[in-house]
Amino acid sequence: MNAARALLGAAHAARWTALPPLTGVAMLALIVGAVIVAPREAVEGEVQRLFYIHVPAAIAMYIAYGITFVASLVVLWRRDLRADAVARAATSVGVLFTALVLATGAIWGQPIWGVWWAWDARLTSTLVLLLLFGGYLLARSLADEHDEQAARFAAIFAVVAFLDIPIINMSVRWWRTLHPQPIVLRMPGDQALPDAMLAVLAVGVVAVVLLALWLVALRADTEQLAQRAAALRAAVDRREDA
Amino acid sequence: MDYLEYLFAGFAVFWAGLFGYLLWLQARLRALARELERLEERLAEADAPVPEASLASGEPARPTPAPPPRRAPTTERGAE
Repeated sequence: MNAARALLGAAHAARWTALPPLTGVAMLALIVGAVIVAPREAVEGEVQRLFYIHVPAAIAMYIAYGITFVASLVVLWRRDLRADAVARAATSVGVLFTALVLATGAIWGQPIWGVWWAWDARLTSTLVLLLLFGGYLLARSLADEHDEQAARFAAIFAVVAFLDIPIINMSVRWWRTLHPQPIVLRMPGDQALPDAMLAVLAVGVVAVVLLALWLVALRADTEQLAQRAAALRAAVDRREDA
Repeated sequence: MDYLEYLFAGFAVFWAGLFGYLLWLQARLRALARELERLEERLAEADAPVPEASLASGEPARPTPAPPPRRAPTTERGAE
């Protein structure tokens, strides 16, 4: 138990010491890998290199909303406002990466599919996710940071909204879509990507996930500071009224 | 058929989004720092000691300097 606490403490401290330089190096490796190292795709040409930011951004989006889901459960279970700050931070980063996934997908889709947007299941369910969690952030911003009831309502909403993630993930298998089928996570032995592309993609996933975790940590600290400021504001109001 | 302009646009949007988010976060932190400064000032005014001259003269205790007109409570928010 003590070892787990020490590990958590070290990980918590590492968000300001190890995470930023690691993220920087990994992002540089991603740029070099995506633009120089990865081979040119034979059918789509150079524009296929968007794959190395589009897919990692989608994985970072899943992870960010996963953090929101877990933190929201903690809010409901323990009524801990620090978890509410983490949930809001992760949602904010999730919304950022959802927007980036949709934007890079549209820019990639225009030359390859001939359209910026199609109302297919994968794209539509991702847009729904953006609207759900965008609405969560908007609604949560209307309440005070240390409003416990608002935090609990927002947590319930986030847990329900998270159900869209498995729908997005399975949409290309359940329905016929313009979006391609999975080419990375297939059955073992059914590898569709050349090793060089797979290696660059792995670097991209590590880089963008590290970036997302650092942004969540940065935003969570900001939100906890905002909660303390709101509590202090209420205390000063009470003292001045007395 | 490489569509280099789309490749450039995709990377540009990705980086612009990330930098835009970081700039917004920095603005939020600045707003919070300003609010904390204001709260410190209000707290200092509320805790200001009663001047000795007024105690000696028997006047009712009043913190100095006179507090400025109050803002509406709990409406000051960051750049959310």
